[in-house]
Amino acid sequence: MSTFLFLIGEAFVNLRRNALVATGAVLAVFVSLALAFGALVFNELVRVNTLQWQQGDHLIIFLKDEGGPVAHSELLAQINDYPEVKNAWYMDKAGAYQEFLEIYSDQPALAATVTAADLPASIRVELDDISTYQEVQFRLVGHPLLRRLSVFSEGIERLLSLTGVLNSIGFGLVVLMGASAVVLIANTIRMAIYARREEIAIMKLVGAGNWFIRVPFIIEGATVGLLGGGLAAAAVFASHNLLERIPTDILIRFQVDQGFLLSRAILILAFGGLAGFIGSSLGLRRFLRV
Amino acid sequence: MIRLHNVAKVYDGGVVAVQEVSMDVRKGEFVFLVGPSGSGKSTLIRMCLREEKVTRGKIWVAGKDITKLPTWRVPYLRRTVGTIFQDFKLLPTKTVAENVAFALKVTGCPRSIVRRQVNTVLELVGLSAKTDRYPRQLSGGEQQRVSIARAFVNRPPILLADEPTGNLDPATSVGIMRLLDRINRTGTTVMMATHDFAIVDAMRRRVVQLDRGRVVRDQGESGYESSEET
Ligand SMILES: Nc1ncnc2c1ncn2[C@@H]1O[C@H](COP(=O)(O)OP(=O)(O)OP(=O)(O)O)[C@@H](O)[C@H]1O
Ligand SMILES: [Mg+2]
Repeated sequence: MSTFLFLIGEAFVNLRRNALVATGAVLAVFVSLALAFGALVFNELVRVNTLQWQQGDHLIIFLKDEGGPVAHSELLAQINDYPEVKNAWYMDKAGAYQEFLEIYSDQPALAATVTAADLPASIRVELDDISTYQEVQFRLVGHPLLRRLSVFSEGIERLLSLTGVLNSIGFGLVVLMGASAVVLIANTIRMAIYARREEIAIMKLVGAGNWFIRVPFIIEGATVGLLGGGLAAAAVFASHNLLERIPTDILIRFQVDQGFLLSRAILILAFGGLAGFIGSSLGLRRFLRV
Repeated sequence: MIRLHNVAKVYDGGVVAVQEVSMDVRKGEFVFLVGPSGSGKSTLIRMCLREEKVTRGKIWVAGKDITKLPTWRVPYLRRTVGTIFQDFKLLPTKTVAENVAFALKVTGCPRSIVRRQVNTVLELVGLSAKTDRYPRQLSGGEQQRVSIARAFVNRPPILLADEPTGNLDPATSVGIMRLLDRINRTGTTVMMATHDFAIVDAMRRRVVQLDRGRVVRDQGESGYESSEET
């Protein structure tokens, strides 16, 4: 036990002596892990913001409460008669509430402040051809029941189809960055070994075993990885906080669930530590033949 | 304690540093290794520490055949053999006390025992007042005494010294030799390579003389030069 504490102490003394190189490695790990973490969060943002569109509807026509369901169903019949419309259906306040609960399932506090009465009923429209949405929009301009019209624009469509591509590019990037972080740490450790080669020779002469010499280096590498991962997590939390301050429409979210953030932050931190461990082990390979 | 049988060392590149060396150092003996520069004294000592492997022959240290020792056991060998070198080999970033303590820490010795042993041995070498200094803040003689303290702190049965006085003036050297003599009197076997004939003549101990890698003289209670010739 006291031996292990001693080796931890050695690792930190060595980190301080090697501060400049170690800082470089920490920053590189930080950048790569922040990118990875950011990609995860972006992905989650896209997912929560497109939840409503996943049934294949192209337009959402939010309705004013005046006239109630009777007036609403008249409008629904009218819209169903538009030539561009393939299919339209009515979502009442209760349905909207259900949907709301689903989208904000992770935020019970917010859900508790909203009741079904606060949410507008809507008509969901599926078009034969999405590019004709402007004609529908045009027909509805100035309609007394129209509260707001939300379009599953080509932008969103592209975004959705892009997420798949983005995901695989992101994944590749994360793997690449992770690998470079590992290599960088390995290199840092290699340099540290080189800088301390005379001391290591002395330690061996006095009877230090391989692990006694290796453990401080491994702790050093893991610390670099953890620091980088910690910085990455902190940066993502901070930028998430900034995003949260943007006044949000009830339909566009700039924030993801805290639980999601926290669990991914722990993952990133663990990955940083692991990268440090693997990196330093690599750096120590083919070294320390007596 | 140390036994060599027909030991030879050929370095990469074909330099024959040691050949056909057989000798036996008994427990508690003090042996000088002498001989001209390049005669193989350091090579012999390094082979006893497994810093170099023998090319031929066998070496037993403290009863174990170290030529067959697996690599992972080498640190254990080095804990039973204290070492002292011309260039002290102290860790520059550690204090006197930490340098000495290091030899115990590598064995996993508990902290309280480490502290006690380190204090005792630093008193023995007369450095109690300078435990918190760094090697660069010490004179050469003081540094060598730190390295002797480190070599002796875990009471090894054997002490190997390669020109321990090589960097020191004669007066300081005498102090170092007194220390080694005292350690030898506690029963520690000492083998020391040296060029310093004044020391060898003054101590009158067993002398093993090497020349071009061979033992050319092995004589008890002798001086630097062969006593038969005088
Ligand atoms: N690592 C090495 N590689 C190749 N040759 C070596 C190596 N070390 C020593 N030698 C050679 O081996 C021979 C013996 O060297 P060694 O250092 O054992 O001599 P020595 O008796 O200690 O000399 P000195 O009194 O100068 O210290 C010399 O010819 C030397 O050049
Ligand atoms: Mg020599």
